[in-house]
Amino acid sequence: MQAVRLHNLKKTFKLKRKAPGLMGSIRSLYKPEWNTVEAVKGISLEIEQGELLAFIGPNGAGKSTTIKMLTGILHPSEGEAEVLGYVPYKQRQQLAYHIGAIFGQKPQLWYHLPPIDTFELFAHIYELDYTAYQKRRDFLVEALQIQDFLETPVRKLSLGQRMRCEIASSLLHAPKILFLDEPTIGLDVIAKQHLREAIKTLHEEENLTIFLTSHDVGDVEALCKRVVIINHGQVIFDDKTSALKRQYLTHKIIGVRFGREIPEDFSVRDAELLKRGTWGAKIRLDTSIRPVDDLIMALMSYAPVVDLTIEDPPMEEVIREIYTAQESIHLNHKEQQEVPA
Amino acid sequence: MLREIKFVLQLIKLNIASAMEYRASFLMQAVGMFINNGIYFVFWILFFDKFGELRGYSIDQIFLLFAIITLGFGMALTFAGNANRIAEFVAQGRLDYYLTLPRPVLPHLLFSWMNPFTFGDLSFGVISYFFTGRFDPVSIVLTFVSAVLAAVIFVSVFGIFGSLAFYIGNAKEITFFLGNAMISFSLYPIGLFQGAVRLILYTLIPAAFVGAVPVEIVETGNLKLLGYLAIAAAIGATLMTVVFQTGLRRYESGSAINVNM
Repeated sequence: MQAVRLHNLKKTFKLKRKAPGLMGSIRSLYKPEWNTVEAVKGISLEIEQGELLAFIGPNGAGKSTTIKMLTGILHPSEGEAEVLGYVPYKQRQQLAYHIGAIFGQKPQLWYHLPPIDTFELFAHIYELDYTAYQKRRDFLVEALQIQDFLETPVRKLSLGQRMRCEIASSLLHAPKILFLDEPTIGLDVIAKQHLREAIKTLHEEENLTIFLTSHDVGDVEALCKRVVIINHGQVIFDDKTSALKRQYLTHKIIGVRFGREIPEDFSVRDAELLKRGTWGAKIRLDTSIRPVDDLIMALMSYAPVVDLTIEDPPMEEVIREIYTAQESIHLNHKEQQEVPA
Repeated sequence: MLREIKFVLQLIKLNIASAMEYRASFLMQAVGMFINNGIYFVFWILFFDKFGELRGYSIDQIFLLFAIITLGFGMALTFAGNANRIAEFVAQGRLDYYLTLPRPVLPHLLFSWMNPFTFGDLSFGVISYFFTGRFDPVSIVLTFVSAVLAAVIFVSVFGIFGSLAFYIGNAKEITFFLGNAMISFSLYPIGLFQGAVRLILYTLIPAAFVGAVPVEIVETGNLKLLGYLAIAAAIGATLMTVVFQTGLRRYESGSAINVNM
């Protein structure tokens, strides 16, 4: 069953342009100039029930605008959107009973009150049966391990504790889809790890569809099987996370530690020396230029090898490459449009 | 309807709990507002002590006028504390939280915050009423009902002006200016204003409906006039809902960081 279906979804904003300074302000009073910005330029997407999808892209790519259209916050300028069979901008209230949404920078919890008070309010908002609510709350408290600070005012919680409580509050009504917009923003490594584990557990136990946007590639690697990348309001990649790696991983990072010291002029043919130490080196190898086994043979014949590691480059680097490639295509396209005929 | 009332009551309970987190600050703000109102009050006592009457108003009517306005304004912003902050929410794109929840946005937004200052107004209203010396049940009921209707009108006016933010971008200043104008004009005897100004006070800035009209209702026991006031309140609330709901389609959200207080 499809949880989300988008067809050619577009959103344009009209922005007022103002020249700098006081004169610019005065001029904009009697002769305002407007720019039309296409934040989302025709996204088509289908998400199955139970999928855990990463929706990523650089700042200003259109991620949050898309989520806001899916949750009924914004009206699309063109195109169609259906979430769990509802049209979000027409059936916002009906849809809201079946979805949960967390915006990392827009907390739902009441700041001066303990999380338990917001939970009680949410039980009223979603009109939950009180006994069922208590049962559900206890389950989430256990799953997210928030029992120790359930009665502490939110303002006194750490960011990680607060975010776990945010997730609990948005799952009290057992939604079918959870929209997570930057849930790990500002969290330390441990808090991120705890949160990812909790999200994974809830996804698996409840067959919850999760639509995750994040700037943290670690979230994508740890959680998502499918990744959709958008840039300039358009989908530039939509496939399995493993395919993303395969398609864009044209090189490996090879770490080697020798049994003896290596000279200062140590170099490697057809590969890039990233780092050289007294006993070893880190090498970046483009596998389309030189096979891995060839390099390893060369290293082993150079000197006795004590340790050897072969790694894929970090996902972050892969995504950066995609963005950069897309950016240059975008710029070329713009330049071509600006050249007079 | 009943479920919405239950929900609003739950919000009010939470607002009180939130305000009680800072009891000292809460009390200081409430006392501050009480003193602020008291300064006006003393001015009028001194004025009527010297001149006796002003355009048909004696000090007794002024006590009643103060009682109804401060009770009405106090009720409005004690329960619907966000009424005069709608423009900020719209301009800063802070309605996202309300839009993701399965409740009508306007009542949810209005009743999600309690302004601690207005407890000073409420208590001042009660004390002002004691000065009127009207302790018969009819006067008490008429004063209470009129104050509730005045509260609805206050909320509606703030709501309408605040919702202009959907159309003109930032309506914070206009809400502040017109809201203050409404309160200021309502605190004077209506007989002072004639012609175009008087027309404005019954339409654009409906100060007369929160001050002069309720005073006349309590003084004369005119139930027909009370009916008209109820109609005015209903028109105000409807207009606010229409302006807000129509504007909501133009809402553009934003990246501001929100906190529910």
